[in-house]
Amino acid sequence: MENTYHVGMADLVVAAAPATLITLGLGSCIGLVIFDSVAKVVGMAHIMLPDSRGSKAVEKVGKFADTAVPAVIDEMLKKGASKTRMKAKIAGGAQMFAVPGANTDFLAVGARNIKETTDMLSKAGIPLVASDTGGNKGRTVEFSTNTWMLTIKTLGKGKTEI
Amino acid sequence: MLDLSSFNNLQLDAIREVGNIGTGNAATALSKLLSCMIDMDVPKADLVSIYSLSEYYGDPDTIVAAVFVRSLGDFGCSLIFIQNEEDSALMVDLLLKQQFGEIPPDLPQEMLDSAFGEVGNIILSSFLNAVNMLIGTEHQISVPGIAHDMLASILDVVASIFGQLGDMALVVNTELRIGGNENERNISGHIVMLPDPNALELLLRKLQVL
Repeated sequence: MENTYHVGMADLVVAAAPATLITLGLGSCIGLVIFDSVAKVVGMAHIMLPDSRGSKAVEKVGKFADTAVPAVIDEMLKKGASKTRMKAKIAGGAQMFAVPGANTDFLAVGARNIKETTDMLSKAGIPLVASDTGGNKGRTVEFSTNTWMLTIKTLGKGKTEI
Repeated sequence: MLDLSSFNNLQLDAIREVGNIGTGNAATALSKLLSCMIDMDVPKADLVSIYSLSEYYGDPDTIVAAVFVRSLGDFGCSLIFIQNEEDSALMVDLLLKQQFGEIPPDLPQEMLDSAFGEVGNIILSSFLNAVNMLIGTEHQISVPGIAHDMLASILDVVASIFGQLGDMALVVNTELRIGGNENERNISGHIVMLPDPNALELLLRKLQVL
Protein backbone atom coordinates (compact mmCIF):
# COMPACT_ATOMS: atom_id res chain seq x y z
CA MET A 1 0.00 0.00 0.00
CA GLU A 2 1.22 3.42 -0.87
CA ASN A 3 1.78 5.79 2.02
CA THR A 4 1.47 9.56 1.86
CA TYR A 5 3.55 11.61 4.23
CA HIS A 6 3.12 15.32 4.90
CA VAL A 7 6.46 16.82 5.80
CA GLY A 8 5.86 19.79 8.10
CA MET A 9 8.06 22.82 8.69
CA ALA A 10 11.50 21.66 9.90
CA ASP A 11 10.41 18.02 9.71
CA LEU A 12 12.26 15.13 8.16
CA VAL A 13 10.69 11.91 6.85
CA VAL A 14 12.44 8.83 5.48
CA ALA A 15 10.26 6.14 3.94
CA ALA A 16 10.40 2.95 1.90
CA ALA A 17 8.67 2.80 -1.49
CA PRO A 18 5.87 2.96 -2.43
CA ALA A 19 5.50 6.39 -0.89
CA THR A 20 4.48 9.93 -1.69
CA LEU A 21 6.03 12.77 0.28
CA ILE A 22 4.47 16.20 0.25
CA THR A 23 5.48 19.53 1.67
CA LEU A 24 3.28 22.61 1.37
CA GLY A 25 4.04 26.23 0.73
CA LEU A 26 7.81 26.43 0.62
CA GLY A 27 8.75 30.11 0.60
CA SER A 28 12.34 30.72 1.57
CA CYS A 29 12.45 27.16 2.88
CA ILE A 30 13.98 24.27 0.94
CA GLY A 31 12.33 20.98 0.11
CA LEU A 32 15.21 18.50 0.01
CA VAL A 33 14.70 15.03 -1.46
CA ILE A 34 17.35 12.31 -1.38
CA PHE A 35 16.55 8.94 -2.92
CA ASP A 36 18.02 5.55 -3.71
CA SER A 37 15.91 3.99 -6.43
CA VAL A 38 17.56 0.59 -6.11
CA ALA A 39 17.01 0.15 -2.37
CA LYS A 40 13.72 2.04 -2.89
CA VAL A 41 14.22 4.45 -0.02
CA VAL A 42 13.45 8.16 -0.05
CA GLY A 43 13.93 10.97 2.43
CA MET A 44 12.49 14.48 2.48
CA ALA A 45 13.30 17.44 4.72
CA HIS A 46 11.66 20.88 4.98
CA ILE A 47 14.69 23.06 5.71
CA MET A 48 14.02 26.52 7.20
CA LEU A 49 17.43 28.04 7.79
CA PRO A 50 20.98 27.56 6.52
CA ASP A 51 23.05 27.22 9.61
CA SER A 52 22.53 25.81 13.09
CA ARG A 53 25.48 27.69 14.55
CA GLY A 54 24.25 30.45 16.87
CA SER A 55 21.21 28.44 17.74
CA LYS A 56 21.09 27.16 21.31
CA ALA A 57 19.95 23.59 20.98
CA VAL A 58 18.84 21.91 17.79
CA GLU A 59 15.67 20.03 18.65
CA LYS A 60 14.60 19.48 15.08
CA VAL A 61 17.48 18.42 12.87
CA GLY A 62 15.36 19.06 9.77
CA LYS A 63 15.31 22.80 10.53
CA PHE A 64 18.84 23.68 9.37
CA ALA A 65 20.59 22.75 6.13
CA ASP A 66 23.80 21.79 7.93
CA THR A 67 22.00 19.32 10.20
CA ALA A 68 19.24 18.13 7.85
CA VAL A 69 21.45 16.81 5.03
CA PRO A 70 23.49 14.43 7.24
CA ALA A 71 20.38 13.41 9.19
CA VAL A 72 18.45 12.40 6.05
CA ILE A 73 21.48 10.41 4.83
CA ASP A 74 21.83 8.61 8.18
CA GLU A 75 18.15 7.69 8.35
CA MET A 76 18.28 6.38 4.78
CA LEU A 77 21.37 4.26 5.51
CA LYS A 78 19.46 2.71 8.43
CA LYS A 79 16.70 1.76 6.02
CA GLY A 80 19.10 0.00 3.69
CA ALA A 81 20.02 2.73 1.21
CA SER A 82 23.54 2.98 -0.16
CA LYS A 83 25.35 6.29 -0.18
CA THR A 84 26.91 5.62 -3.57
CA ARG A 85 23.47 5.35 -5.17
CA MET A 86 21.91 8.37 -3.48
CA LYS A 87 20.74 11.26 -5.64
CA ALA A 88 19.23 14.57 -4.55
CA LYS A 89 16.63 17.02 -5.82
CA ILE A 90 15.83 20.36 -4.25
CA ALA A 91 13.16 23.04 -4.63
CA GLY A 92 12.43 26.30 -2.83
CA GLY A 93 14.61 29.12 -1.53
CA ALA A 94 12.47 31.94 -2.90
CA GLN A 95 12.60 35.51 -1.66
CA MET A 96 8.99 36.36 -0.95
CA PHE A 97 9.39 40.12 -0.48
CA ALA A 98 11.84 42.59 -1.90
CA VAL A 99 12.21 45.83 0.01
CA PRO A 100 14.66 48.15 -1.73
CA GLY A 101 16.90 50.32 0.39
CA ALA A 102 16.24 48.62 3.70
CA ASN A 103 18.72 46.44 5.54
CA THR A 104 16.74 43.27 5.07
CA ASP A 105 19.31 40.51 4.77
CA PHE A 106 16.88 38.22 6.54
CA LEU A 107 14.55 38.43 3.53
CA ALA A 108 17.27 36.83 1.41
CA VAL A 109 17.50 33.76 3.63
CA GLY A 110 16.26 31.66 0.68
CA ALA A 111 19.48 32.23 -1.26
CA ARG A 112 21.54 31.24 1.77
CA ASN A 113 19.40 28.12 2.22
CA ILE A 114 20.08 27.09 -1.39
CA LYS A 115 23.82 27.62 -1.05
CA GLU A 116 24.19 25.77 2.23
CA THR A 117 22.03 22.84 1.09
CA THR A 118 23.96 22.39 -2.17
CA ASP A 119 27.28 22.77 -0.32
CA MET A 120 26.28 20.12 2.21
CA LEU A 121 25.22 17.75 -0.57
CA SER A 122 28.48 18.13 -2.46
CA LYS A 123 30.45 17.66 0.77
CA ALA A 124 28.57 14.40 1.28
CA GLY A 125 29.31 13.42 -2.33
CA ILE A 126 25.66 13.19 -3.33
CA PRO A 127 24.89 14.41 -6.86
CA LEU A 128 22.21 17.07 -7.14
CA VAL A 129 20.38 15.81 -10.23
CA ALA A 130 17.62 18.44 -10.43
CA SER A 131 16.64 21.68 -8.78
CA ASP A 132 14.07 24.44 -9.01
CA THR A 133 15.16 27.21 -6.70
CA GLY A 134 15.10 30.96 -6.15
CA GLY A 135 12.68 33.44 -7.66
CA ASN A 136 9.94 35.11 -5.66
CA LYS A 137 7.18 32.50 -5.67
CA GLY A 138 6.26 29.85 -3.13
CA ARG A 139 6.24 26.18 -4.11
CA THR A 140 4.32 23.10 -3.04
CA VAL A 141 6.26 19.94 -3.78
CA GLU A 142 5.38 16.28 -4.04
CA PHE A 143 7.77 13.38 -4.58
CA SER A 144 6.51 10.00 -5.72
CA THR A 145 8.51 6.78 -5.69
CA ASN A 146 6.45 5.56 -8.67
CA THR A 147 8.33 7.92 -10.97
CA TRP A 148 11.12 9.23 -8.70
CA MET A 149 10.09 12.67 -9.89
CA LEU A 150 9.51 15.82 -7.89
CA THR A 151 6.34 17.67 -8.88
CA ILE A 152 6.37 21.39 -8.13
CA LYS A 153 3.27 23.56 -8.00
CA THR A 154 3.74 27.31 -8.21
CA LEU A 155 0.98 29.89 -8.05
CA GLY A 156 0.22 31.21 -11.54
CA LYS A 157 2.68 28.83 -13.25
CA GLY A 158 0.99 25.49 -12.72
CA LYS A 159 2.89 22.21 -12.33
CA THR A 160 6.40 21.26 -13.38
CA GLU A 161 8.25 17.99 -12.90
CA ILE A 162 11.95 17.72 -12.27
CA MET B 1 18.52 38.82 24.58
CA LEU B 2 15.12 38.08 26.01
CA ASP B 3 13.94 34.54 26.14
CA LEU B 4 10.48 34.33 24.62
CA SER B 5 9.54 31.36 26.78
CA SER B 6 9.97 33.50 29.89
CA PHE B 7 7.37 36.07 28.85
CA ASN B 8 4.71 36.67 31.47
CA ASN B 9 1.09 37.66 31.00
CA LEU B 10 1.65 41.25 32.06
CA GLN B 11 4.25 41.64 29.32
CA LEU B 12 2.02 40.04 26.71
CA ASP B 13 -0.85 42.33 27.83
CA ALA B 14 1.38 45.37 27.41
CA ILE B 15 2.37 44.27 23.92
CA ARG B 16 -1.28 43.62 23.08
CA GLU B 17 -2.03 47.20 24.14
CA VAL B 18 0.63 48.37 21.68
CA GLY B 19 -1.25 46.41 19.05
CA ASN B 20 -4.48 48.06 20.10
CA ILE B 21 -3.09 51.57 19.72
CA GLY B 22 -1.49 50.73 16.39
CA THR B 23 -4.66 49.15 15.05
CA GLY B 24 -6.82 52.08 16.13
CA ASN B 25 -4.64 54.43 14.15
CA ALA B 26 -4.53 52.11 11.14
CA ALA B 27 -8.32 51.74 11.16
CA THR B 28 -8.78 55.51 11.24
CA ALA B 29 -6.42 55.97 8.30
CA LEU B 30 -8.13 53.26 6.26
CA SER B 31 -11.54 54.66 7.09
CA LYS B 32 -10.48 58.09 5.79
CA LEU B 33 -8.92 56.62 2.67
CA LEU B 34 -11.94 54.54 1.70
CA SER B 35 -14.64 56.73 3.29
CA CYS B 36 -16.29 53.80 4.97
CA MET B 37 -16.77 52.20 8.34
CA ILE B 38 -13.95 50.03 9.64
CA ASP B 39 -14.43 47.51 12.44
CA MET B 40 -11.50 46.18 14.36
CA ASP B 41 -11.01 43.17 16.58
CA VAL B 42 -9.33 43.30 19.94
CA PRO B 43 -5.72 42.57 19.03
CA LYS B 44 -3.94 39.50 20.27
CA ALA B 45 -0.32 39.11 21.27
CA ASP B 46 0.60 35.46 21.08
CA LEU B 47 3.60 33.25 21.35
CA VAL B 48 3.20 30.78 18.51
CA SER B 49 5.33 27.79 17.61
CA ILE B 50 7.11 28.61 14.35
CA TYR B 51 6.28 25.08 13.15
CA SER B 52 2.54 25.65 13.28
CA LEU B 53 2.29 29.26 12.10
CA SER B 54 0.17 28.49 9.06
CA GLU B 55 -2.30 26.48 11.13
CA TYR B 56 -2.48 29.45 13.50
CA TYR B 57 -3.49 31.73 10.62
CA GLY B 58 -5.59 29.29 8.62
CA ASP B 59 -5.04 26.88 5.77
CA PRO B 60 -1.41 26.78 4.49
CA ASP B 61 -2.67 26.52 0.89
CA THR B 62 -4.85 29.64 0.99
CA ILE B 63 -3.94 32.17 -1.68
CA VAL B 64 -3.25 35.50 -0.05
CA ALA B 65 -2.02 38.96 -0.95
CA ALA B 66 0.47 40.51 1.42
CA VAL B 67 2.31 43.77 1.96
CA PHE B 68 5.53 43.77 3.94
CA VAL B 69 7.27 46.80 5.45
CA ARG B 70 10.25 47.16 7.69
CA SER B 71 10.59 49.63 10.53
CA LEU B 72 13.96 51.32 10.17
CA GLY B 73 13.92 53.36 13.37
CA ASP B 74 15.22 52.44 16.82
CA PHE B 75 12.38 50.01 17.31
CA GLY B 76 13.17 47.32 14.76
CA CYS B 77 10.22 45.34 13.59
CA SER B 78 8.59 43.90 10.52
CA LEU B 79 4.94 44.39 9.66
CA ILE B 80 2.82 42.34 7.29
CA PHE B 81 -0.69 43.05 6.08
CA ILE B 82 -2.33 39.82 4.84
CA GLN B 83 -5.62 39.38 3.03
CA ASN B 84 -7.31 36.59 1.17
CA GLU B 85 -6.82 37.19 -2.53
CA GLU B 86 -10.56 37.85 -3.07
CA ASP B 87 -10.72 40.32 -0.18
CA SER B 88 -7.71 42.14 -1.53
CA ALA B 89 -9.31 42.43 -4.98
CA LEU B 90 -12.51 43.79 -3.43
CA MET B 91 -10.59 46.32 -1.38
CA VAL B 92 -8.68 47.55 -4.44
CA ASP B 93 -12.01 47.90 -6.30
CA LEU B 94 -13.35 49.96 -3.43
CA LEU B 95 -10.32 52.26 -3.53
CA LEU B 96 -10.49 52.72 -7.31
CA LYS B 97 -14.24 53.46 -7.20
CA GLN B 98 -13.51 55.97 -4.45
CA GLN B 99 -10.80 57.69 -6.50
CA PHE B 100 -12.15 57.46 -10.04
CA GLY B 101 -15.91 57.03 -9.61
CA GLU B 102 -15.73 53.87 -11.61
CA ILE B 103 -13.07 51.27 -12.24
CA PRO B 104 -11.24 52.00 -15.49
CA PRO B 105 -11.46 48.96 -17.80
CA ASP B 106 -8.41 46.82 -18.59
CA LEU B 107 -6.29 48.05 -15.75
CA PRO B 108 -2.97 46.20 -15.86
CA GLN B 109 -2.16 43.93 -12.92
CA GLU B 110 0.76 46.22 -11.99
CA MET B 111 -1.68 49.07 -11.34
CA LEU B 112 -3.86 46.88 -9.14
CA ASP B 113 -0.79 45.64 -7.26
CA SER B 114 0.43 49.16 -6.81
CA ALA B 115 -2.96 50.24 -5.42
CA PHE B 116 -2.98 47.28 -3.05
CA GLY B 117 0.58 48.03 -1.95
CA GLU B 118 -0.35 51.63 -1.26
CA VAL B 119 -3.35 50.69 0.90
CA GLY B 120 -1.21 48.19 2.80
CA ASN B 121 1.52 50.78 3.18
CA ILE B 122 -0.91 53.31 4.64
CA ILE B 123 -2.35 50.75 7.07
CA LEU B 124 1.07 49.58 8.24
CA SER B 125 2.64 53.05 8.40
CA SER B 126 -0.26 54.31 10.50
CA PHE B 127 0.07 51.33 12.77
CA LEU B 128 3.81 51.80 13.20
CA ASN B 129 3.52 55.54 13.60
CA ALA B 130 1.20 55.12 16.59
CA VAL B 131 3.53 52.56 18.14
CA ASN B 132 6.56 54.82 17.72
CA MET B 133 4.66 57.76 19.22
CA LEU B 134 3.68 55.61 22.19
CA ILE B 135 7.15 54.40 23.01
CA GLY B 136 8.93 57.56 21.88
CA THR B 137 11.05 56.10 19.10
CA GLU B 138 11.89 57.57 15.74
CA HIS B 139 9.52 56.72 12.90
CA GLN B 140 11.17 55.47 9.74
CA ILE B 141 9.69 52.95 7.39
CA SER B 142 10.83 51.10 4.26
CA VAL B 143 8.99 51.07 0.97
CA PRO B 144 6.46 48.25 0.79
CA GLY B 145 7.11 44.83 -0.73
CA ILE B 146 4.14 42.99 -2.24
CA ALA B 147 3.51 39.28 -2.74
CA HIS B 148 0.65 37.10 -3.93
CA ASP B 149 1.20 33.57 -2.80
CA MET B 150 0.32 30.66 -0.56
CA LEU B 151 -0.15 31.58 3.09
CA ALA B 152 2.51 29.10 4.21
CA SER B 153 5.11 30.63 1.87
CA ILE B 154 4.43 34.13 3.15
CA LEU B 155 4.73 32.94 6.73
CA ASP B 156 8.22 31.55 6.03
CA VAL B 157 9.34 35.15 6.54
CA VAL B 158 8.05 35.04 10.10
CA ALA B 159 9.55 31.62 10.77
CA SER B 160 12.97 32.63 9.48
CA ILE B 161 13.06 35.80 11.61
CA PHE B 162 12.43 33.91 14.83
CA GLY B 163 13.78 30.50 13.85
CA GLN B 164 17.45 31.27 14.36
CA LEU B 165 16.85 31.97 18.06
CA GLY B 166 14.34 29.36 19.00
CA ASP B 167 11.06 27.72 18.30
CA MET B 168 8.61 30.47 19.21
CA ALA B 169 7.51 33.62 17.41
CA LEU B 170 5.95 36.62 19.10
CA VAL B 171 3.17 37.92 16.87
CA VAL B 172 0.74 40.75 17.39
CA ASN B 173 -2.38 40.18 15.32
CA THR B 174 -5.47 42.07 14.56
CA GLU B 175 -8.23 41.96 12.02
CA LEU B 176 -9.76 44.95 10.24
CA ARG B 177 -13.14 44.66 8.57
CA ILE B 178 -14.32 47.06 5.95
CA GLY B 179 -18.08 47.36 6.19
CA GLY B 180 -20.78 49.97 6.02
CA ASN B 181 -22.40 48.62 2.89
CA GLU B 182 -25.12 46.12 3.79
CA ASN B 183 -25.36 44.65 0.31
CA GLU B 184 -21.74 43.74 -0.08
CA ARG B 185 -19.76 41.21 1.86
CA ASN B 186 -17.35 42.45 4.45
CA ILE B 187 -13.70 42.69 3.50
CA SER B 188 -11.21 41.67 6.13
CA GLY B 189 -7.46 41.83 6.49
CA HIS B 190 -4.89 40.95 9.12
CA ILE B 191 -2.12 43.15 10.46
CA VAL B 192 0.80 41.17 11.83
CA MET B 193 3.51 42.93 13.82
CA LEU B 194 6.77 41.07 14.38
CA PRO B 195 9.10 42.87 16.76
CA ASP B 196 12.73 41.96 16.14
CA PRO B 197 13.86 39.61 18.89
CA ASN B 198 16.50 42.13 19.94
CA ALA B 199 13.99 45.02 19.96
CA LEU B 200 11.70 43.35 22.49
CA GLU B 201 13.76 44.49 25.43
CA LEU B 202 13.49 48.12 24.29
CA LEU B 203 9.75 47.74 23.82
CA LEU B 204 9.18 46.21 27.25
CA ARG B 205 11.41 48.74 28.96
CA LYS B 206 9.52 51.65 27.37
CA LEU B 207 6.26 50.07 28.47
CA GLN B 208 7.72 49.68 31.97
CA VAL B 209 7.05 46.00 32.20
CA LEU B 210 10.63 44.77 32.30
